Amino acid sequence: MTRYLGDEFLTPTLTEQNTPFFTSGRIQIQFCDDCDHAQQPPDDVCYSCQGTNLAFRATPGTGSVESAVLVHHPIHPALQERVPYVVVVVSVDGAPGCNVTGNVVGCPPESVEIGARVRAVFEEAKDPATGQDLLIPQWELVQD
Amino acid sequence: MHGQAVVVGVGESEYYKHGRSPDTEFQLACTAIKNAAEDAGLELRQLDGLISYMDDRNSPLRIAAALGFDELSWSATPWAGGGNNSSATLQFADAAVCGGYANYVVGFRSLAQGQFYRLGAGTGVASGGGPPGLGWGLPYGLMTPAQECALHTKRWMHDHGVSQEALANISLACYANAQLNPRAVRYGQALTREDYHASRWIVEPFHLFDCCQENDGAAALIVTTPERAKDLPGKAVPILATAQGLGPEIGANAFQERWFPGMYYGNVGRMIWERAGVKPEDIDVLQLYENFTGPVVMALCEMGYCEPEEVEAFTGDGALEGPNARLPFNTSGGNLAEAYIHGLEMVVEAVRQSRGDSTCQVDDVNLSLAVGGPGYAPGSAVLFGPAS
Ligand SMILES: [Zn+2]
Repeated sequence: MTRYLGDEFLTPTLTEQNTPFFTSGRIQIQFCDDCDHAQQPPDDVCYSCQGTNLAFRATPGTGSVESAVLVHHPIHPALQERVPYVVVVVSVDGAPGCNVTGNVVGCPPESVEIGARVRAVFEEAKDPATGQDLLIPQWELVQD
Repeated sequence: MHGQAVVVGVGESEYYKHGRSPDTEFQLACTAIKNAAEDAGLELRQLDGLISYMDDRNSPLRIAAALGFDELSWSATPWAGGGNNSSATLQFADAAVCGGYANYVVGFRSLAQGQFYRLGAGTGVASGGGPPGLGWGLPYGLMTPAQECALHTKRWMHDHGVSQEALANISLACYANAQLNPRAVRYGQALTREDYHASRWIVEPFHLFDCCQENDGAAALIVTTPERAKDLPGKAVPILATAQGLGPEIGANAFQERWFPGMYYGNVGRMIWERAGVKPEDIDVLQLYENFTGPVVMALCEMGYCEPEEVEAFTGDGALEGPNARLPFNTSGGNLAEAYIHGLEMVVEAVRQSRGDSTCQVDDVNLSLAVGGPGYAPGSAVLFGPAS
């Protein structure tokens, strides 16, 4: 799918820690293999048991909107034609305590409410530095 | 109760709209420190410690050389964040002079946002700075502190039934107090509730007037021991307590469920009240850093001033406006309306209140509190007693 903020908009700078999230086409969250603690953003140490046996696991790809704000001021030139747009915090199903950020696509931005159920969809892009394919997680409303 | 170190001098440059300073950032820093030394009755060569925060670009080595310090024996900067550490400069200075490591320690902050980048432009965040949570927001157009604080504020208002008027109350108080302060960049620009509501949205629930300015300028304070202060001509303002650090509301990652929504200031309040043996209602005048109005109302609640459900009434009906307010608050106009020198100008104002020379002077100030920027950890605060 084309990108919510335009195909020319900024892409994440890939790191070892965020590559699974931004390239796999799944909502990948870091878990501790010793104690099953989930954490986002990922880190080098488990924040629960302080172990280092950490691995990414795919979650079901659904979640709930914890907060949603309408952005009116275009902070980047490429956003001039895109405001207002909606930014959300989503709690990820299957990864207790983990919230991620994103946009909710496919609906008027002002229609996104706290508590709404959402499902992941993915935007196609390329990393300008390496040409690597990106699948940037986004969210769409789930109709009950 | 500490009561050991004292502030003996404060200094500022002129404050400008961002990009308007004719001086470089380094010149502004030197001006503020020279003014603070003159205020204290000290020779520049006697200064021997320098503390700043927020990755200040003005190296202590360069300042000590330029200003002719005999010796630089203490320099420090707290880790992480931004204006959250404004009051921490005074804690580090207190530690240095009470520990005997330095005699006259300067806390300073200088910025020329024309010469360098503007914090609010999101540049630092886009290049990987800022809280860890923000880097993940880049492809979603989530790039600024305003947006991040808005996400917290929106959920908090939703949970507690807080309306836009609570945010307006903060902005109106700052603008009203700035009208008494000729140094304020917004002096002569009164704001009405209608103006507030009519102003454009930046990111809901923040209007333009919910957001701090972007300014050029510098501020500095000089800390020493009470013994050394006795030999100086001016007033000495005691540091009764300071707080800096992380609590259970740790805020390591901006949107983690454990800490969302929150401003991470419960621990700052707890430390200040316990260390000074006082309660929020004992404070005579409060300077509470406004990056945005939402974090201010949230921090007021986290620090124990009122419950979230009460914050609209607590801040309403002019409760924060003027020297005779129910809670005299941001009496110079604060970051919103005096100048945004990343909150250090508010610490200077807290000292002025203790000395009795504010443009919005509260009667009989016994306890004057300055709180650093909520929303980013580690938080900080400093409590001053009456000048002697
Ligand atoms: Zn673990």
